[in-house]
Amino acid sequence: MTAAALSAPGRTRPGGRRAGLAVALLLPIALVNAVAFLAPVLNLARMSFNEALPGGGIGDAFTFENWIGLLRDPFYVELIVNSIGINLFITLLTLVLSYPIALYLHRTTGRWRSFLTVLVISPLLTSAVVRTYGWIAILSDSGPVAQAIAALGFVPPRLMFNTTGVVIGLTEILMPYMILSLLAGFGRLDPRVEEAARTLGATPFVTFRRVVLPLTLPGIALGCLLCFVLAISSFITPRLMGGGRVFLLATEIYDQAIVTLNWPLAATLSMLVLLIFGAALAAYSRVLKAVE
Amino acid sequence: MGQTTEDGFLQLEGVTKRYGDFEAVRSLNLLVGKGELVAFLGPSGCGKTTTLRMIAGLATPTAGRILVGGRDVTVLPVHQRDMGLVFQSYALFPHMTVERNVAFGLETRKLPRDEIRQRVGRALAMVRLGHLAGRRPRELSGGQQQRVALARALVIEPSILLLDEPLSNLDAKLRDEMRGQIRQIQQELGITTVFVTHDQVEALSMCDRIVVMRGGRVEQVGSPFEIYERPANQFVASFVGRINRLSGSRTGDGAIAVRGQRILGSPEIAAGEVDVMVRPHRIRIEWNGTGRVHQDGTNAVLGRLVRTTFVGDVVQFHIAVGEDELLVEQPTTGRPDLPEPGTPACLNWRIEDTLVFPKEQAR
Repeated sequence: MTAAALSAPGRTRPGGRRAGLAVALLLPIALVNAVAFLAPVLNLARMSFNEALPGGGIGDAFTFENWIGLLRDPFYVELIVNSIGINLFITLLTLVLSYPIALYLHRTTGRWRSFLTVLVISPLLTSAVVRTYGWIAILSDSGPVAQAIAALGFVPPRLMFNTTGVVIGLTEILMPYMILSLLAGFGRLDPRVEEAARTLGATPFVTFRRVVLPLTLPGIALGCLLCFVLAISSFITPRLMGGGRVFLLATEIYDQAIVTLNWPLAATLSMLVLLIFGAALAAYSRVLKAVE
Repeated sequence: MGQTTEDGFLQLEGVTKRYGDFEAVRSLNLLVGKGELVAFLGPSGCGKTTTLRMIAGLATPTAGRILVGGRDVTVLPVHQRDMGLVFQSYALFPHMTVERNVAFGLETRKLPRDEIRQRVGRALAMVRLGHLAGRRPRELSGGQQQRVALARALVIEPSILLLDEPLSNLDAKLRDEMRGQIRQIQQELGITTVFVTHDQVEALSMCDRIVVMRGGRVEQVGSPFEIYERPANQFVASFVGRINRLSGSRTGDGAIAVRGQRILGSPEIAAGEVDVMVRPHRIRIEWNGTGRVHQDGTNAVLGRLVRTTFVGDVVQFHIAVGEDELLVEQPTTGRPDLPEPGTPACLNWRIEDTLVFPKEQAR
């Protein structure tokens, strides 16, 4: 539901007046989006102003109670802050781990590059559920990582069913998206330009900071936006890797909608996530504007 | 860097670059004097750009040494070499203004801000771009970008200026103009310059000396005059300027038999099969002439006009001599009296204009 908000071409606003053809071509997708995306979102927005009745009922009366209650409850405030914080951290970690790989891929040519690109994308061919279970097997208390640490004579830290597990799992799952976004944004990075900086007396570090980094900023912004949005809306991995002990927005929405049957609260939390997306998008376009 | 050794400011000693089995540059030796402008001239893949990159430090020689002012810089990192490089693609920083581009090399040297501003201003004035200081590279024409690249390389007052085909992306008229400008700036600053080009006109018109390269090897080093008038071999003769080639063989009396006709050329070439070469514009034509007799110091060969190409400044006559075809070029006269194909012609040229080389072995 939420990831679709990214690519919401839901409105039919033909750029030029000249072509009825454009309208005709856009009409089917506009209708699909209106029925399958826009209407449910509006419905959700309306529901967040409805009263929650005991036993899963939804009252018709208009009320701000859900929103006010949400912002007054320290549990939810902490949940929201934590969600944003953890997911920003995951995004940053994904960026740091993916950037060198993307840079290396960008500089590689020929068959080797194709092979490596396929290697990077291949995790996407497996569902996140399967990969999450894979991580559980690796990180569990009796898993190879814990055993390796124990074999070295240390007490293995808990890697599963806590925030650490969520961070590890989501970071790995998001890396292909980050790498692809970075690569898409590396178009302006010409090796000759880096060489020019070096001949002008810039050390490798200065070249990176003053030339490579600014020129790859569009890719960084795109990757961070995409991964942040995917991270905050991802549900399965935090659910499984967090073991019910890590409370994030997506898992809470699920619990409220399915377990507690408080649909108005779930709707309110969903709208909040949408607002966070809006803020992320605004930040992204500001970065792009600054780059231009 | 002030010390100038007698034998050259920039020295290449046995510089070699191998990529796997491929030898891009083979044991290259060269001395470039302080303030000299030297061109590396050759077809693509001859190793000229690789050599330039090794001088700049962007490639490491497989063997050999590179010295600047007597100091060995073979393994010195790029950013410590103090050389200005102008790339074929200009390689300007797209995210910086013209001014910031030019200032970059001074900022990495951590110069005071005032000095940077002054020197950037002077460098931009030198290439006449002061009024565009605030623009981004993509807002400039190719010629303007090229001048920014030149200013950026020169503003750091490099010990050596390296130019990698800097004019090849410009249109013909601009190229002529920039040729003159670069030469003028280079001479004013007295900066030692290495210029890589595949364009013989650029090399001949701008440079003090030319290094003609082929297949990673130096074919000849000499002044433009020497390269053009005294080419060391067939390759240099035909790569620099246009030239006719005739196959012949030494006869007993020291002359050369070409298609049954007798011509004279530099006598020091040993007996056997030879290539005879002569430039198209050094040949005079006597139409319907018999010219059998050699006048003093002149070669004469009989042929027949095949076709005529009118190029405006000159007219080109293609003349069959036996099975060979010779190109003869003459300034146009403004008269419409061009001879018909089939007209017999006697071709005359001076013996000094006759270049004779041993028959080239396939290599």
